[in-house]
This record gives sequence, structure tokens and C-alpha cells, in this order.
Amino acid sequence: MKKLFAILLCVLLVAALFVGCNNTDKPAETGSKDTNAPATNAPATNAPATDAPSGEKVTITYSYWGTPEEARDTQAILDKFNAENDHIFVELLAIPNEQYTTTLNSMAAGNQLPDCGIMNENGVLDFAADGLLADVSSMYEGASSMPLDSITFKSNGVPVAYSGANEALFLYYNKDMFDAANLAYPDARTPMSWDEFVNTAKLLTLDANGKNATDPDFDPNNIVQYGCNVDNWTWQLEVWALSNGGRWFSEDGSACTINSPEVAESIQKVADLYLVEHVAQYRDGLEDSGIQSTIAAGNVAMATGGAWNVGTCMNTVEFNYGVARLPVMKNEVTIVTGGPQVVFSQTKHLPEALEFIRWYSQIENNWGLVESGIWMPTLEEYYTNEELTHKWVDNPNFPPYDEYKAAVVDYTMEKSVSTCWYYVPHTNEFLEYLRSELGPVWTGDKTAAEALAGADAHLQEIFKGE
Amino acid sequence: MSKRSKKPRNALMRAENRTAYLCLIPSIIGLIFLTYVPLLEVFGLSFFSWKGNGFKGFTFVGLQNYVKLLTTDPYFKTSVAVTLYYTFMAVIGSMIYSLIIALLLNRKIPARGFWRAIFYLPYLLPAVAVYLGWNWLYNINYGLFNFILNRVFGLPRVGFVNDAKLVAPSLALVSVWLAGNLIVIFLAGLQNVPKTYLEAAEVDGANSWQRFWHITVPCMSPIIFYNLLMALITNLQVITPALALTKGGPGSSSRFVSYVMYQYAFESRKFGYAAAVSVMLFILIGIFTVILFATSKSWMFSQGGDD
Amino acid sequence: MEKHASLANRKRRERVINSVCFLLVVFFSALCLLPIWWIFRSSVMSNNQLFANDVPFFPPDWLFSNYPRALQNFDFWTYLKNTMIIIVPSVIAGTVTAVLGGYAFARMRFKGKKFLFTLVIGSMFLPVMVTLIPLYIMWTNVFELNGTYWPLILPYFCGGGAFNIYLIRQFIMTIPRELDEAATIDGAGHFRILISIIMPAIKAAMIVVALLLFTQMWNDLIQQSLYIHDAKKYTIALGLSQFKGSLKQDYSAIMCATCMSFAPGIIFYLLGQKYFVEGIVLTGMKG
Repeated sequence: MKKLFAILLCVLLVAALFVGCNNTDKPAETGSKDTNAPATNAPATNAPATDAPSGEKVTITYSYWGTPEEARDTQAILDKFNAENDHIFVELLAIPNEQYTTTLNSMAAGNQLPDCGIMNENGVLDFAADGLLADVSSMYEGASSMPLDSITFKSNGVPVAYSGANEALFLYYNKDMFDAANLAYPDARTPMSWDEFVNTAKLLTLDANGKNATDPDFDPNNIVQYGCNVDNWTWQLEVWALSNGGRWFSEDGSACTINSPEVAESIQKVADLYLVEHVAQYRDGLEDSGIQSTIAAGNVAMATGGAWNVGTCMNTVEFNYGVARLPVMKNEVTIVTGGPQVVFSQTKHLPEALEFIRWYSQIENNWGLVESGIWMPTLEEYYTNEELTHKWVDNPNFPPYDEYKAAVVDYTMEKSVSTCWYYVPHTNEFLEYLRSELGPVWTGDKTAAEALAGADAHLQEIFKGE
Repeated sequence: MSKRSKKPRNALMRAENRTAYLCLIPSIIGLIFLTYVPLLEVFGLSFFSWKGNGFKGFTFVGLQNYVKLLTTDPYFKTSVAVTLYYTFMAVIGSMIYSLIIALLLNRKIPARGFWRAIFYLPYLLPAVAVYLGWNWLYNINYGLFNFILNRVFGLPRVGFVNDAKLVAPSLALVSVWLAGNLIVIFLAGLQNVPKTYLEAAEVDGANSWQRFWHITVPCMSPIIFYNLLMALITNLQVITPALALTKGGPGSSSRFVSYVMYQYAFESRKFGYAAAVSVMLFILIGIFTVILFATSKSWMFSQGGDD
Repeated sequence: MEKHASLANRKRRERVINSVCFLLVVFFSALCLLPIWWIFRSSVMSNNQLFANDVPFFPPDWLFSNYPRALQNFDFWTYLKNTMIIIVPSVIAGTVTAVLGGYAFARMRFKGKKFLFTLVIGSMFLPVMVTLIPLYIMWTNVFELNGTYWPLILPYFCGGGAFNIYLIRQFIMTIPRELDEAATIDGAGHFRILISIIMPAIKAAMIVVALLLFTQMWNDLIQQSLYIHDAKKYTIALGLSQFKGSLKQDYSAIMCATCMSFAPGIIFYLLGQKYFVEGIVLTGMKG
């Protein structure tokens, strides 16, 4: 029997050995993490400090989403903070954009949220309502300028979070394609009407024989260059409703008015670019894949997209591009949005997390993201004070100053309104359901009016929170 | 510990008892804490509303979750239909495909091991990579399938995973491609069909179809049953393609039951409601398992002996 | 005379059928490999070539330089290492515990055996998805293991899956009892018998169990995505899905990453091919 147990012991030891291996791998991993970020100054203290602040520094976690380039820029900002600050060490938790809300939700359920982070806009008001966000009202105390009101999240009129960045929607176009078609560039200040936009798109849509979409012999089954792409990523469709004189939600956020002829018409017009006019590619509205695969890929002449694209993908294109205001259905309008910097209430290091977020929200500290074109500033003075606008836009990361100033900076200041998630809760579920119901509209199996009528009952339910 | 000398019989039995439990400790822990207790918990949780903020805010709602799920829920009924449709095609497709390939490989052909390896290969690739790759193959403009349709046969292009009607069959085709393990198991089964039976039948003048239908199939029936059952259970809880590729779309045409559960739990933090979806999934799979077992007696040929 | 003719006739027919079958096998395996070829071919083409209007079947030039380019944003080696940190201990622990469990059920008499065995068989039919939520709550809220690999590894220290226990038990039951009885008379205990007699005899089955555990974890996305949040801790599955998300339409890089993640499974198979086939043949026998 003794032998028997000795053998069992051996088996368990073998098993334990592998657990051990696994354990020994972990410090090694932390080590490699530090080599990835050579600027982090205290690798020895940071590993054990995660749970118990044994040394001088408190380690807090900041979660972030974005492309690898954005993550690199963010890490550089954290490195700067970590070098300057003597009692806080911030670690970056990079979560891919696609899984961001889901990950935060699942972390919230596990009581394991990071200390602070940027948030996806569609979950902010729900997190606030469930008590998952700490109070950040003190964030801009004593600042020279307040953030734009349109990018302040409000629950019953009370600010609950401030966007860390501003992003407006506007039109990107390929100047080389306009030149080749002998067309004048869109004016940066005066937008096209929707019909002008469609006609321009037709002239820029070419089939394999080089015929454009106005030609009677045009072959829509063999298109090699598309005139436009109006992104049908669900939240972006709100801008067309506003442009067409409709609203998804009433201005005070008290009613859902999406099932209206104006909204239906606005969605139908976007769908018809592919279905009827043959000037756009099919898009399923699933994710933000619009601009990278269209204008940036070099097969589309005009595309709508968010301001971040200036810094994330248009900076690498090999053609000349320009920016213009969105075409107008009835009203000239754009929507703005931007992930807010928040402190999560589950944090065990509230003062430190607040301190970091306050630091990060100061524009001189996140200047790298502004300068590269990924973020537009949140503070009003950058839009109103031309000197500051110059400081922000006048660099090679941007299109020519006058063009960007007229088509983006002034546009935002004059014509922008909040995206619905700044004042309406449950937008995550709302947009997901809307997306699933609009699927048949993009393929032409249903009209937008039919889809909205069918979806309205449940959209109202989601809007009211069941 | 205990001395191994002459001991009364029941002492020996006790020792054996002890050893057995020692061996089974890990399994018992797993069965209790990772299987049956969670199963009870999921039933329990389904009667509550819980937003998942630590251990706070449990509200007892009785059967309300189930009532809502079966009446007004916008996704659930579609998701059951979609899941059954997908499962039907994936199971039938992979069973037929793997049986045909196994029968072919069972003939006397050169380099059988090599061919077997090729058919087995897809099974060894990580699922996410497979769906990423197939997404590209299905691409409406630049994918392999549209290359074949459009370039080789001159047919119009088809948006496989972008088309609400085609997405479930397209995903089922991927799962057929992944059925390498079924082929190998079928092949093993075929090689165990007693040669004497086949030879005897041949002497009696049975043609190859008769031999296949009256000898091979009955001998294979336990293996067919096992493959069918496992394919059914695996496919009914499908989630990876939705997670890695389609996000349930276009529309809701690939929104499988598991994905609905996942979305309610981890995107909306409605854990109680999601637990009710889990229970419905459990019942759905239970129904099919019971049907399969109940009907198996009539068509499964038992050689007897094995308990 | 007639009999002889029919025999020759039959042989000839057999040969024809065999060659037709061979051609079919070649045809089907070409179909089976076609997707892999297309993915590989896309990985050595530039995006411009991929998005060109004439879709070429063979890459115009072989741009292996896409691979280093993809590696800049797809940290394959880290992901592979992370995946192995999860898989290696789990596969070993899962196999060992399955062998112990299967052995107890096959060879020992103890109280409650029937009941426990029923529980094991019952759990075979219990879908993993059903218990996902309670297990998630347990690992995160009770044990606070969110963000670590433990929720992915620890379950394999607890039985290695009902099916695997059952499989091992079935195999052990095919080994003649006389062998261990003889050993018992020689004074060997249960564990001695297990190690010196049973385990060598079920080597193939153990390898099948290990392979099943390997593919199970290799293919898992949902659990990994629930428990691992930090990009530095990503596995291959997670790395790939985020890579797709962040690069969107850089398909040549995405296809490079896909091809790279194909490699470990293929290598694993080539190394152990002999055992897998033997083991699976035996699995088939037990059904």
C-alpha cells in the first residue's frame, strides 16, 4: 500500500510540476511585458504591486480600445504620466474595440472592472444608471474652457461623463478620382444636396469598360470603381434622419420617434445607393469597416466617416484626399461623439484613478492623439480661437488647413448635435436590435418603412427599459 | 499506511473503496462543482433578475423570464429556428460527407494514410482561423467561391455570409469541411466490419449495394449513432461562427441560441434572463438526445456483450 | 470454367471500382485542400492584388514579406506561448485524471459506483453552453480569478471530461482481467497495476484523449474571450479575432496570421500521426 501511495504522490507531483511551470511562466511574462514598453521605469515594483501596494506606488489599470497604432500612442501617454508621477503607476489594459462593451460588461459582473478607462459610448448611461461609474463632476474644476456641451453625457440633465475626444462625421473624397473624371472638388464650406451627391457619385462610378453610371451601356454587374460609400454602421444612420428632418428620439430624450416617414426615407436613401443607383458597394452595417475597405482601399471616390480616420487610416493612403461636409437631405447637420474617460466605482483606488483621469483629460497631456488627427479636441476654445485651431490642425497629418477648418472645425461648431447615446439609455441594445432589423433593408428584401414598422414595438420596449 | 498481509475480506474491500475514491476525487469535484451544481444554479438564476453588479440586486421574478422569452422576445424564436436549420444541415451534411469519404478510403487505394491525413487536417485548425479564412473564401468580390462561380462557370456573384438566406447553409458547409474526425471514426468502424460476413454474403450472391445495406450499415450502426449524437449536441450549441464572424447577422439569420444567451448575459448584463435562455437550450438539446435514444432501439444493431 | 471466368470478371470489376474510388479520393481531397490553398495564396499577395478585378488563382509574385509585416501587429509567438501555457497543463492533467477515473470505474468495486457512473454518463450529454453563466459567476465573483488563465486550466484538473473517463474505462475493460489478477497475486497494488500493466496497454487511448483535449481548447473562443481581457495575455484564438477587428480589410495580413495559426496543429498532427491513427482506430472499435 505504501508503494501505491508513493506512486500516487508521484502522479500528483507531476501534475503539480506543470502547475509550477505555469506559475514560473508568469513572472517571465511580466518581464516580457516590460521589455515591450521600455519606458516604464520600475519593472521590479510593478509586478507585485497589482494587488497590494507594498511599495511607494499604487498601480491602477486604465482600459482602452483601439487599433494597434492608437494603443501605441496611448501607451506613450501613460509612459509620460508614469515618469512624472511619483505615487501612481498606470497600466494599460488594451481591449479590442469590437469586444469592448462586452468585456466591460462581463468584468462588471465579476466585480473586476479596471480602475478607470475610456468607455464605448453606447454603454455609458446604462453603466451610470447601474452605479458603475464614479462621480467625475470635479474633472474640469478651474479649467480655462469647458468641453463642448454636445459631447457631455447627461442622465436626466445631470452630467455623468465627459467624452475624452470629439469625433464628427464628414465626407472624405479621393481628389485623384475627381481629377480623372474632370470634376470640381466638393466645396469645403457649402455642402452638396443629396441629389447632387448622388449625381456626382454616378459620374464617379465606373464599370470594367470605363463607362460611368450615367451611361446607358453601364454594366452594374462589373463595377470597378464606386462613386460613394455612405456608412451604414447603425449609429451613424442617425445623422441622415436628422438631415432629413426626422429624429430617432425627441430632443429631451423622452420619446422614441424612430418609426416616422422622415427616418424611413433617410434610411431608404442610403440603401438605394447600392440597390437602385448602383453607386455603392453592398455593406451589411455590421461594424466599422467602411472607410478602410472603401476610400482608403482606393476603390471608392467619396465616403462618409468619422474624424478619427484622418489619423488611423487616411494618413497611409497613396492618393490625395480631401474633406467636405456631409451632403444634405433637408437640414445641414452632423453628429458628434467620443468615448468618455471614466472612473469605475468598483475601483479600490478612487483618488488615484480620479487623479489620473483628470490629468489625462487635459489636452496638453493627450496632445499626441490630437496632433495625429485621431482625436478632435473636446474643449470649445479649440474651435473658436483660431490660434488654437492652427496649433491643432496646421500639421502634415491633416488635409490643408483651410479645407479642414471649413469642412470639419467650423462644421462641428456650427452644425453638430449629440449622437443619441448622450441622452438616451439602453442604446447598446437598441442599436443591436435596429441593426438586426435593418439587415433585409440593405439587401433590398424589405423597405426601410416596413423594417421600422416591424421593429418599432420592440424598439419602444428597449427604449423604455423593458 | 495499512499493512498488506493477511486481512479479512471486508478490510480489503475498504482499502479498495478508499483507493477508488482517491482516484475519483478529481472527477467527483468536477462533476459536483463544474457540472451538476452549476446546472442547478442556472435553473435557479433563471427565476431572478440580476444585472450583474457584484452580488447585489437579485430580484425574484418567478416565471417572468420564461414568459417573456416565449412571447415577446424578438430574438429567441428566430434563434431556435436558425439553430435547428443550421444543425440539420451541418449534421446531415457532415454525416453523409464523412461516410462517403470513409467508404472511399476503405477501398484498396495507394497511400491511404496520406489521403486520410488530408481529410483529417481541417479538424486540427483553430476554429477562429477557420472562420476567418472561410469568411474570405466567401467574400462576395474576391473570394474563392465567387471566383469559381463567376470566373469558371460565369454565374452571378453570391454573398454567401452576407445573404440572410445563405448564411446558415454557408456556415454548415464549414462544419462539414471540419468533419475530419467523423471520417476517421467511420473508417475505423468500417475496418472492423467482420470480413467473414461480407465474404459469406458474397458467396450467397449479394451485390455490393446489398452487402453495404445489410451488413456494413448494421455493423456500423452503433458508430453512426455515436457520431450522430455527438454531432447533434455539438451543433445545437454552436456559437463560434457567430462570435468570430457574423455577429448573428445579416439581420438575425445566424443568431444561434447560444449567441442570444451570450448577448443577453455579456452585452446587456441580463444574467437572469440569459440563464432562462440557457435552460431552454438545455431542454432543446435534451429533447433531441431523448428522441435519438428512444428511436435508436429500432434501428441500431447491437452485437451484444458490451455493457 | 464458368466460375473461373466470373472470378476474373469480378476481380477486374473490383479493380475498376478501386481506381474510380481512387480518382474520387483525389478529387475530394483536392476540394478539401482548396480552401487552405486559397488562404495561403492570399497570404502571399499584396492587398492591391487581392482587391484587383481579375482574381488570380495563383499569386502573381510570392510576397513572403507579408509575414514579417503581419507579425508587427500580430504577436504570434506570444499568443502561441500563452496558448501553450493553458493547453500543456490542461492536457496532461485532463489525461491523468481521466485515466484515474476510468481505471476506478473499470476495475474497482466501491460503494456508489453505479450512481457515480450514471452521473458521469449523464454529464456527457450536458452542453457546456448551459453552465457557462454560473461557472463564469463562480470563477469571477467567488474565486476572483477573472483575467487569469486559471478558469481555463483548473477544470481539467477535475476529471478531464466525462467522455474521456468513459473512453478510458471502455479501453481498460478490453484488457483481460487475468493480467492484473496475476499481478495482484504477485503483490502489486492498484496503482502499480495501473502504471505497469494498464497504462502501457491503453497508450493509444490516452493519446486520443490528449488529442481531444487539445482540440477542445484549441478551438475554444467563448471561454477564452470571457476570462482573458488583457491583450498581452491573449491566446491565438483571441489574438486572431482582435487582429481581424483592428485591421479590418488588410486581408493579406489577416491571411498571414490565419496561416500561422494553422501551423501548430499541423505540426502537432505530423509528429503524433502514427499514434493518433492507431488510437482513433481503437476508438472506432469501441464506438
